[in-house]
Amino acid sequence: MNQNLYQPINGEIIDIIDESPTIKSFVVVPEEEFRFATGQFVELTMPGEGEAPFTPSSSPAITDKMEISIMKAGRITALLHECEKGQKVGIRGPYGNGYPVDDFAGKEVYIIGGGVGLAPIRSLFLSLVERIKDFKSVVCRYGAKTPADFIYKNTLFDSWQKIEGVNIKLTVDQADGQWKDNVGVVTTICAKDDVDVKNAVVVICGPPIMMKFATMKMLEFGFKDSQIYLSMEKNMSCGIGKCGHCMLGKYYVCKDGPVFTYDQIKKYPNIWD
Amino acid sequence: MRIVFLSDLKPLLSAIAAQMDLYIPKNAGTHYVYDRYDPSADVPVEVNHIRVCTPSKEFLFPLRELAAVFPEPLEPKEIEPFAVFGLKDCDLRSIEILDKVFAEKEFEDPFYVKRREKMFIISSDCSDPADSCFCNVLNGRPFAQSGFDLNVSKVKGGFVVEAGSLKGEELLKTNSELFSKAGDDVLAERQAQRAETQKQLEQNNADLKFDAPVNEIVENGQDSDIFDQEATTCVECQACTRVCPTCHCFYLYDTKKDDYFSKMKMWDSCMRIAYAEVAGGANPRKILGDRLRHRFMHKFSYFLERYGVDMCVGCGRCVDAEAGDVDIRAVLKKLNEEFEREGKNKAKVGK
Ligand SMILES: Cc1cc2nc3c(=O)[nH]c(=O)nc-3n(C[C@H](O)[C@H](O)[C@H](O)COP(=O)(O)OP(=O)(O)OC[C@H]3O[C@@H](n4cnc5c(N)ncnc54)[C@H](O)[C@@H]3O)c2cc1C
Ligand code: SF4
Ligand code: FES
Repeated sequence: MNQNLYQPINGEIIDIIDESPTIKSFVVVPEEEFRFATGQFVELTMPGEGEAPFTPSSSPAITDKMEISIMKAGRITALLHECEKGQKVGIRGPYGNGYPVDDFAGKEVYIIGGGVGLAPIRSLFLSLVERIKDFKSVVCRYGAKTPADFIYKNTLFDSWQKIEGVNIKLTVDQADGQWKDNVGVVTTICAKDDVDVKNAVVVICGPPIMMKFATMKMLEFGFKDSQIYLSMEKNMSCGIGKCGHCMLGKYYVCKDGPVFTYDQIKKYPNIWD
Repeated sequence: MRIVFLSDLKPLLSAIAAQMDLYIPKNAGTHYVYDRYDPSADVPVEVNHIRVCTPSKEFLFPLRELAAVFPEPLEPKEIEPFAVFGLKDCDLRSIEILDKVFAEKEFEDPFYVKRREKMFIISSDCSDPADSCFCNVLNGRPFAQSGFDLNVSKVKGGFVVEAGSLKGEELLKTNSELFSKAGDDVLAERQAQRAETQKQLEQNNADLKFDAPVNEIVENGQDSDIFDQEATTCVECQACTRVCPTCHCFYLYDTKKDDYFSKMKMWDSCMRIAYAEVAGGANPRKILGDRLRHRFMHKFSYFLERYGVDMCVGCGRCVDAEAGDVDIRAVLKKLNEEFEREGKNKAKVGK
């Protein structure tokens, strides 16, 4: 086995799915066995160009390939968006701690997501649905800028909504002609009686501003800090708690996170920036 | 372990250099730099009175190195043994700190670990500490306490050489013809000199006193505007983090040449504005004062909490290197004053 932590394993992009005007999903086949837990992330290398952290959006139960949904946000993500099937990539990881799915057993799982934040959440959602009987319910509240910006449209608008034990509501910031649902930020479709606050956990993933307001709303609803799970996005390089880039207070987000409960991190400065 | 007396350093260094590359301090006028030891060169070998200007981390964690290649994986290459002469207690303590990060179980940096295993450390006692040296207020001493293979102390007419590891012990054994017994007189002299240098350090830093463990002082002041005020004199040259022997931030970047792709590992600095910036422009430490605050909190609080030791050894290199005017000692002093003031206020409120 290669003992060099900085050396990616080789992989290939075998399929690319257009999800929205700014997001594509990449189906990546690693050349070696590669397993991850839901919520863990990988460092994906464009050989010769650079690497960036992403959370696989597929179920960890699928082990021969993984899907990674990527929003075009800068240099590396733009290069990924330009590449074609057959592109060779490097994969390091998986890194960090994922969602503690076992701890959610017997509870209602209240998931609030926005934008590309749905990527890690899809992996979590699929993991929950595989054993849906273990949870009291899975309640999802998702937002997007416009209806076109939703990702995983085929399943999100259809089959996921029909799963027993799952309750999904959607909202957009800006509607188009066909949109019949709610218009407004994601917190406008969150209600105190969505779940039983005493027996639920909240999972929030999305743009920082949305995470901040959703967290405040959940606190208003009476959730304790320790019931709120946040996926923190910080600048990363090594992914293994050495390079220092991702530090959030005493934590290395790459190694100690990226999933934290609000009580772990709330005392540190500028957590939402 | 063995303690011996040696009248001339050169034969010992040459014996070491016959086995491995040896780096020694070279006097560059106002400071020392490291240079490869050449046994045939007719230059006097001197015991540097304080640490070398460049940080000791360079031997283990170079400014830039190859970390990975594609598509064939890079196996970290074997490192030949090498020796470094003239490291000080502050250097040894900084290596201990780097070990915690790079030799951490499960997350070993293979390049660091391979070098570390092959590094032979010959430390030496300090004499005449620099104005910027303040190791004594951070549990340091002007002489090696542990972490060396051999330690050299200059005494009248020669040197006292002490083994600090099995490797060092072995070297003394195989070169025993070079040494004689270290008599009580030279050992007493060594002790007296150490005490004298320690006293000198304490005098130099007499006004740098803490009213509580340093982590408590920094934590207490983390929300104060001291950092923002101090930052106004910082010119963001990042020299402080470059010369720091414990700072270990780096970043990985990819390069290509034809169809050869590689990933490099290079020093970075948490004082750099884009250091924590993410795509889209969000940046938890956009403000310089916040970066300075984070640097202090990392050094004196976060690192201690995680690894049980401060991430500052008081070597004072940052004080010397600084192009701006942020003096780590002055900041600590201000934080201590604030701690004192607040302590008094708290006591008043309590009454
Ligand atoms: C744990 C985690 C999970 C994530 N999951 C997803 C996901 O599932 N989907 C998704 O779309 N996004 C995800 N992101 C965000 C994604 O990582 C960023 O959008 C991506 O890093 C942007 O890279 P870029 O080069 O395109 O952007 P840029 O803006 O060009 O770069 C972003 C930052 O990376 C740094 N950087 C860029 N190039 C280099 C370089 N060569 N060397 C060193 N630093 C460099 C810079 O500091 C820059 O500020 C995740 C982020 C984290 C931390
Ligand atoms: S900081 Fe202390 S150990 Fe380091 S060179 Fe100065 S006196 Fe010697
Ligand atoms: S990404 Fe390097 S320490 Fe977290």
